[in-house]
Amino acid sequence: MANTTHGTESRRDSHCGVYGGAIVENGCAVKNLSASDPSTQTNNHCHVPIMHSEPILPAYMPTCSSTPLYYSSPQKSCSDQNQDCHSLSSQDSGIPTLEINPPEPILHQRSGDGGLILDSNHDSPATLPLDDDPSDSNTIRKSSTFPRSGYDSIRLFSPALRLSTTTGMTIGGGALNRSDDISVCSVSSMSTELSVSNEDILDFTVTSDSSAIVTLETDVSNAASFSDVTLSSLSPGNPRDLWSPGSGVAEQEGDGRQKKLGSLASFFNKSLFARRLKESRPVEQRDPGWKLFGKVPPRETPTKDPKRIQKEYETKSGRAGPGNPTSPRKSVRKNLDFEPLSTTALILEDRPANLPAKPAEEAQKHRQQYEEMVAQAKKRELKEAQKRKKQLEDRCKLEESIGTAAQTWNQEILPNWSTMCTSRRVRDLWWQGIPPSVRGKVWSLAVGNELNITHELYNICLSRAKEKWKTMPAPASETETEDAGSSDRESSLELIKLDISRTFPHLCIFQQGGPYHDVLHSILGAYTCYRPDVGYVQGMSFIAAVLILNLDTADAFIAFANLLNKPCQMAFFRVDHSLMLTYFSAFEVFFEENLPKLFAHFKKNSLTPDIYLIDWIFTLYSKSLPLDLACRVWDVFCRDGEEFLFRTALGLLRLYQDVLTCMDFIHMAQFLTRLPDLIPAEQLFQHIASIHMTSRNRKWGQVLQALQKDQERCSPVLKR
Amino acid sequence: METIWLYQFRLIVIGDSTVGKSCLIRRFTEGRFAQVSDPTVGVDFFSRLVEIEPGKRIKLQIWDTAGQERFRSITRAYYRNSVGGLLLFDITNRRSFQNVHNWLEEAQSHVQPHSIVFLLVGHKCDLEAQRQVTQQEAEKLAGAFGMRYVETSARDAINVEKAFVDLTRDIFELVRNGDIKIQDGWEGVKSGFVPNTVHSSEEVTKGSRQCFC
Repeated sequence: MANTTHGTESRRDSHCGVYGGAIVENGCAVKNLSASDPSTQTNNHCHVPIMHSEPILPAYMPTCSSTPLYYSSPQKSCSDQNQDCHSLSSQDSGIPTLEINPPEPILHQRSGDGGLILDSNHDSPATLPLDDDPSDSNTIRKSSTFPRSGYDSIRLFSPALRLSTTTGMTIGGGALNRSDDISVCSVSSMSTELSVSNEDILDFTVTSDSSAIVTLETDVSNAASFSDVTLSSLSPGNPRDLWSPGSGVAEQEGDGRQKKLGSLASFFNKSLFARRLKESRPVEQRDPGWKLFGKVPPRETPTKDPKRIQKEYETKSGRAGPGNPTSPRKSVRKNLDFEPLSTTALILEDRPANLPAKPAEEAQKHRQQYEEMVAQAKKRELKEAQKRKKQLEDRCKLEESIGTAAQTWNQEILPNWSTMCTSRRVRDLWWQGIPPSVRGKVWSLAVGNELNITHELYNICLSRAKEKWKTMPAPASETETEDAGSSDRESSLELIKLDISRTFPHLCIFQQGGPYHDVLHSILGAYTCYRPDVGYVQGMSFIAAVLILNLDTADAFIAFANLLNKPCQMAFFRVDHSLMLTYFSAFEVFFEENLPKLFAHFKKNSLTPDIYLIDWIFTLYSKSLPLDLACRVWDVFCRDGEEFLFRTALGLLRLYQDVLTCMDFIHMAQFLTRLPDLIPAEQLFQHIASIHMTSRNRKWGQVLQALQKDQERCSPVLKR
Repeated sequence: METIWLYQFRLIVIGDSTVGKSCLIRRFTEGRFAQVSDPTVGVDFFSRLVEIEPGKRIKLQIWDTAGQERFRSITRAYYRNSVGGLLLFDITNRRSFQNVHNWLEEAQSHVQPHSIVFLLVGHKCDLEAQRQVTQQEAEKLAGAFGMRYVETSARDAINVEKAFVDLTRDIFELVRNGDIKIQDGWEGVKSGFVPNTVHSSEEVTKGSRQCFC
């Protein structure tokens, strides 16, 4: 938690750029590796000799014989020696390393004999989802509510792999004299790629250096048959799983790293994709043919049984070539009825013929270790496959129920709103969450339009706001002689501008140039003209944004103005301090009633409700909860009113009661102001449901009223 | 587990909206710079350990406040329990500099009889081309109010560490000299558990004794 870095300032600050950077670290490691002398390379041993040309081979001999393990694992060659190559997770983490590294040697090659690799056309292929702009691709990945584009990530990297094959080939065949420039990784990725896709080629690769080059060349040029194999071995792999090591890093890292990734992406985009495109049939965005270490994005038959896939894979690959029956890998594979996907990149190799053979017991030991790893991976992946299957089933069920609910709302409830909206059945359905397609309508109806705002009034307010923006002095700093009051009001127009881009930044739709930027600007601006006494207050932009996501502009404005006109929202947005305190006191009454233990713990640590409630109430949870969950809270808030906001707060406290009771002040405060990214919706609503909003037979409204009457006595929070 | 610290200081970070308060704190506590961040509504919390001398760690509890003027009536309640504060302005935004004395007055009037050790921070110093406040005038203002002045950039990680550590050292000196005393019911400074094996110097044992009486 607390950072214990005590280094000097410069040390700490310089540290920040590569903070938590698995990729960068690995990347650096490899960079150093490829730049270092051959003797260091030999310490990283592995199957390097496979692809290197003869001249350097002798240098590898002595150290290789002392090599404890001889796996053709990509991770082994790329990472340092300390890494535990038995651990499956580290093996996984080796994969992204691989993806990052190939460009290094390619860069070397590009200047040299570009003819084979380089396409004269450096333009980005239009069909590919890559983006040169690093911020773009990364912000999407960061988003918690926006669907992650793991699909794209795969697309981004797998061609690189394929192409590293091409490069490796070129290096081996065309530029033998430059082989010392080749980084270990490009080579390893090459053999790995092949071992995944076609065993026979791999066998070839292992046994003969020179002929491997030829084989590879034909393989790549016959891209169609190659991808045939990969297509047939489609598996229900989750692209997100694949991406996850990288994305975790992407989330942590600073912008420097994003740039790094971005430039990498653009590099792939420019030189590599062009080649691929030219070579085989054009890659459609949804084409499932790309293959990355045996995993492919789920496209067709996502519920396919892994065993069946494996069988298909084996028959296919068997058909693809007669194969070498004495291949050691073959026998290993035959023993398994289910090939674990992650280990398809991990092949047990014999030492090449030009190296001394392993002692029998050592070989046996390695075989055993290898089999253990494969068995473990198999177990884990089976479990994962089952989990994914269940998730999919759940999602289907959920979608189905949403579909039927939407029908019920549309056909039965909405046409008879006034008579039905208070019925038991509708209330129950309401609690379960309003289907997104009717959400906006239901919110509008439930919030009502007490203020009788018409679309015309909205347009009038908007045009007034636009007038103001025009006359507003451009840089606020030049208006030096203003008094504080008017400067606040002026700056509220300015602040809107600044805050719009800070509203759900990860969604990328409210920012400058985004589809809803102007809409959000309009609604907030119109509101400051409609209610100049309230003006713009931070937090409003989130409420308006959620409404915009569910309603048309003018209707969103109507709902926005009416929502803010509710007593609780007025109290908060006008920062009516004493009234806010009353709300907090009422909340504490129900807090103590429902969760006495936690209440006592909070008291003991002098954690007052203002610390967490202000944010929750001001933004109606839209900033603190995942957006879909916040919308569900809004559903019931529209039905039950302010009381539900406080009930939700108690539900959250109840949900995390056990965690919170173990924390001190600062940890509780941090926890509550930054709630976990994943909050189980059903569980939360169960906890909310078990919060009773009655205290000594008094309901929320009565408690609040009573407190308002004797305000003097109960101001424990802010009047310190 | 909780790392052992000598004292815990509660710091408050104030200043106009969008001067970069949250970004500065994030850079200090998380070591990264977020291109985009939510506006702070109410107050956010951060903490970090700082080693001011070898073996002497101070736990900083940092309260990040909302900058909008409207929220001042809320945030002013948090001054009282703070021992130190960073008062930020944006060197590319003259108005945020002009508001510095408003912030100071506001703070002083709400912490009586305590006082807060403030550090004036000119933020976003990486944007030199858009500078609207010179270093000289900022230093002059800081001097007039008896504060230190430092220019920082969260984006380029300039002086971020220095700003927090300098302020922590200043407060630590005041605590060591007895100018600031630990008091019951005041959260500004708290004494941590001090094992004799690690900290055996005089002032440390004095400090730990203070908290038990």
